[in-house]
Amino acid sequence: MSELHLEWQWLDAGEALDLNELSRACEMSAAELNELIEYGALSPLDPNQPELVFAAQCIAPLRTAGKLRRDYDLDLFTVVLMLDYLHRIETLEEQLRSVRARDS
Amino acid sequence: MKYKDYYAALDVPRDADLEQIKKAYRKLARQHHPDVSKAPDAEARFKDAAEAYATLKNPEKRAAYDELGRQPAGAEFSPPPQWRNEHDAGAESFENMDLADLLAAMGRQHGGAQHSSMPMHGRDFEDTVHISLADAHRGTTLSLNLRDGEGERTLEVSIPPGVMSGQKLRLRGKGDKGRNGGADGDIYLHIALKPDPVFRADRHDLYFDLALTPWEASLGAEIEVPTLDAPVMLTVPAGSRSGRKLRLRGRGLANSRGDRGDLYATVRIDVAATLSARERELYQELAGISTFNPRLASAKEKPHE
Repeated sequence: MSELHLEWQWLDAGEALDLNELSRACEMSAAELNELIEYGALSPLDPNQPELVFAAQCIAPLRTAGKLRRDYDLDLFTVVLMLDYLHRIETLEEQLRSVRARDS
Repeated sequence: MKYKDYYAALDVPRDADLEQIKKAYRKLARQHHPDVSKAPDAEARFKDAAEAYATLKNPEKRAAYDELGRQPAGAEFSPPPQWRNEHDAGAESFENMDLADLLAAMGRQHGGAQHSSMPMHGRDFEDTVHISLADAHRGTTLSLNLRDGEGERTLEVSIPPGVMSGQKLRLRGKGDKGRNGGADGDIYLHIALKPDPVFRADRHDLYFDLALTPWEASLGAEIEVPTLDAPVMLTVPAGSRSGRKLRLRGRGLANSRGDRGDLYATVRIDVAATLSARERELYQELAGISTFNPRLASAKEKPHE
């Protein structure tokens, strides 16, 4: 019988992680993540704190945009644009699920 | 070692410049990307293009590759002796290496930034799992089939109660093994809920259609309705119109905080397709005495601008 794994981290607003953890999770360097912050595409929970902390819900879109960047050999600014569109897609998908549930 | 024709893989001439190579790669990557193409060989073709591009976009690796000359794809060949000297693996592993791995290793050594003995994180595993509403509510156990450098393995994972559609979960350190002391990869799961024959989920709230007869909707009724647990009696108030939502508080899906969403019954008034003589008589009597006109009522509520 194999071991059963229970230690899930929920990638939502309730979980937080620091810059190093985010860098590891998104396969992007700290310098690249800082550049995304400068572009306004990534926001730490409290920008005034010396140690930057992020909500875990930013991991999934960052991973998706980072993978597309690697797959197509794109520059970092494309990640900024993709993050905006990924956020809009997620919001619209959630609204669609909600409308379908309520009005089907 | 087998020769691979990277120029043919990208369909570019051997004297193509970097722009031509990049353009050819992006075109193929777009065509065969697993997110875009559903062809069974899409992933393999995408990987072939990516492997060719990884070498040809790097001037140093491209020069080393060009040293091999032009050979038929798949032909056995021996790399130049200096490659062996530059590579730190033993003679046996050198002969068994794949051309792409060898070129990648050379790139790391020449680049200096990523030496082959540097700690490397294990590869992450990412997948979407489709689970039923009941499993999302109560939690469930899944078997994930993971394919990594060591072959295929099965990992039993327990999905906690309270997940919803669109939820993302991470299981640390259970992906591919790290190398040279690097951390093991993680597992990322995207949750999708399978369509349910009765309920529709909006985050942790559930909706279902409650079919009522005209007299149940008009007079009110006690109706047995389904829930995720056991059926319960729902009081339908008199005068319940079609589309009205009746809430059963705390009968929706569990959430991660241990609370539950609500269950909504959406009223749908239905009529019999055929009527008995007596039923027709009663309806005709009602039609004769009723002053209710739903067209007038809805026109008052929703005036046209």
